[in-house]
Amino acid sequence: MGSFRLGAMTLRSMFKKPETLQYPKETKAPYPGQKGHVVNDVDGCILCGMCQRVCPCHCITVEKKERRWGIEPFMCIQCGSCVASCPTSCLSMDPAPTSISAEKFCRDLQVPEKEKQAS
Amino acid sequence: MGKSTVIPFGPQHPVLPEPLHLDLVVQDETVIDCLPQIGFVHRGLEKLVETRDYNQFIYVAERICGICAMGHSLGYAETVESLMGVEVPKRAEYLRVIWHELSRIHSHLLWLGLAADAFGFESMFMHCWRLRERILDIFEKTTGGRVILSVVRVGGVNRDIEDSELAAICQVLDGIKSEYKEIMDTLLTDMSVKNRTVGVGHISLEQANDLSMVGPFGRASGLGYDVRTFGKGAYGELSEFQPITDTQGDCYARVKVRCEEVLQSIGIIEELSAKIPAGDISVKVKGNPEDGARASNVLEQPRGECYYYAEGNGTKFLERMRMRTPTSQNLAGMVSALKGCDLADVNMIILTIDPCISCTER
Amino acid sequence: MGFSSDFKTIQASDVHADAVKRKEDGWRYVQILAVNKEEGINLVYSYMLDGLLENLVISGLASDHHMDSITDVFLEAFVCENEIHDLFGIAFDGLKIDFLGNFYRLSTEVPMTIISPEKLAEREKQRKLAEKKAKAEAAKAAKAEAGEEAADISGAKPGEPLIDEEMEAKLAAMPPEKAAKVRAAMEAKAKKAKGADGEVG
Repeated sequence: MGSFRLGAMTLRSMFKKPETLQYPKETKAPYPGQKGHVVNDVDGCILCGMCQRVCPCHCITVEKKERRWGIEPFMCIQCGSCVASCPTSCLSMDPAPTSISAEKFCRDLQVPEKEKQAS
Repeated sequence: MGKSTVIPFGPQHPVLPEPLHLDLVVQDETVIDCLPQIGFVHRGLEKLVETRDYNQFIYVAERICGICAMGHSLGYAETVESLMGVEVPKRAEYLRVIWHELSRIHSHLLWLGLAADAFGFESMFMHCWRLRERILDIFEKTTGGRVILSVVRVGGVNRDIEDSELAAICQVLDGIKSEYKEIMDTLLTDMSVKNRTVGVGHISLEQANDLSMVGPFGRASGLGYDVRTFGKGAYGELSEFQPITDTQGDCYARVKVRCEEVLQSIGIIEELSAKIPAGDISVKVKGNPEDGARASNVLEQPRGECYYYAEGNGTKFLERMRMRTPTSQNLAGMVSALKGCDLADVNMIILTIDPCISCTER
Repeated sequence: MGFSSDFKTIQASDVHADAVKRKEDGWRYVQILAVNKEEGINLVYSYMLDGLLENLVISGLASDHHMDSITDVFLEAFVCENEIHDLFGIAFDGLKIDFLGNFYRLSTEVPMTIISPEKLAEREKQRKLAEKKAKAEAAKAAKAEAGEEAADISGAKPGEPLIDEEMEAKLAAMPPEKAAKVRAAMEAKAKKAKGADGEVG
């Protein structure tokens, strides 16, 4: 008997909108709070290195001398602890995931010098 | 009686989602003995506690197992909090339980799909995973991740769920409930399912007690042990909680218990989201665990009781972190359930026990 | 039914007798774990009865110690006992299901007893910090006797080249101008230290 009930359910779904997406043609838009990749607004960055310290997978490198901030997007686990710990809140989580790539790379950002900090 | 042969089963087998190896000693078609072997996915995650501080280790704990991710992060956080004497805000406790129960639904639906697939019930598998997808969608909306949620932290949770969002979750769950009931009815009344499961892999209440079984496996034999009855965290605020048990102790009872637990979880989420208090979602945790401080804790995961142990050494790294997962406790029970069964029933028995090997080995 | 847990100590020779007694009294076996300490290996046996989780601690076992297996009482303990044998090296006599060291496929023997370099470094750091703290406290006490002031400066002087958490916490507690000054001083020091390293290398 049970299979008839399931048959009815399956038949019903023939007249509904499909639950799946035709993937390469359509893609699912990420939700606003989704964890995609970490972005750094370099204008606000003071290169304090807090993000580097809290990162559980050591994927962020901060070099104060060269004013360089780098992240390895394929090492990053999107835990968001760097975003939470950032004192100037210049780090944020972007909902779009890093697109696929044939090789791993490091995304380096040059942090511009600031007048106040220059002294 | 023919002579006995040893048949290897797994670690690669269509019915097994995870690498478990069994040496089945078979006489004719009957299994007379079996030796479970694990050790294919041991990653030494407990050792990693020496290189990740107590705030970072929560992300390692989550990655012990994909299905129990929320449970492990919650259990770890609770243990470290009791180690350091941190009081978690009420709202955070509620949110944690809501997510944890959602992950129980997702785990049980995943298991139900796999079980249906093993019965040869492919359309049921599709329906179960379709419903599970909605739960994962809730996770994606509220935490930002599908499976690895990274939402619990020592001292609270990382994200809040707005009240409007909670109402939306309840609405989604309501939609799931009616469809799920149809699936459950089908599964529990279907002849072919009953033929494969009723009376197979029987475990009596005495055996369950003897082997200290945990989770739905023990509850299907009438063992009323459920960590949630201790009322830790927001479970204590529930108006009533009765663990779901069955007395039959066979594969069918285990299927039934898990099926009903999904509805129970939906009930818990609905009740808690109606009751949830306003307030902070986390407190700041300062300092390091003290030298020699120890804490132990248990948590009801989808597969049963999980034990956590944490020991501090005065630094930001823990001296030792240990999880004893439900499957490790149930392995002995699995051996006794398999003894005397038909060779063709082995996959059904293993599947209804729902072993999680990644958890067991860490 | 509430939940509570406690820790008790027990002698290694009493474990089996205790297990038999607990089985009779209706306790549930929960788990066995091992902790690698400097003094030796600690074992923790856990049992539960009606929401009371009791952890029995055995401390300071040698890594080649032989324990009595409790698998004849609680068969389900074979997982933990085999695991401890493979990861810590403690042998269990009379194991019901014995894998003879092949429970996990390991590339290193008894990996959990190896102290990782990170842990050693952290221990060293802790020791130094404790020494420094003791020194600073002694200095402070001496100064408090003599007069006041200047205590802050002496606190900032032994600052490490890297701004560690301890320092960060101290800085957070200071007024902003003073914190900036200390930070600048530390940076200069760090630069100097780096320069010195460069010369050596």
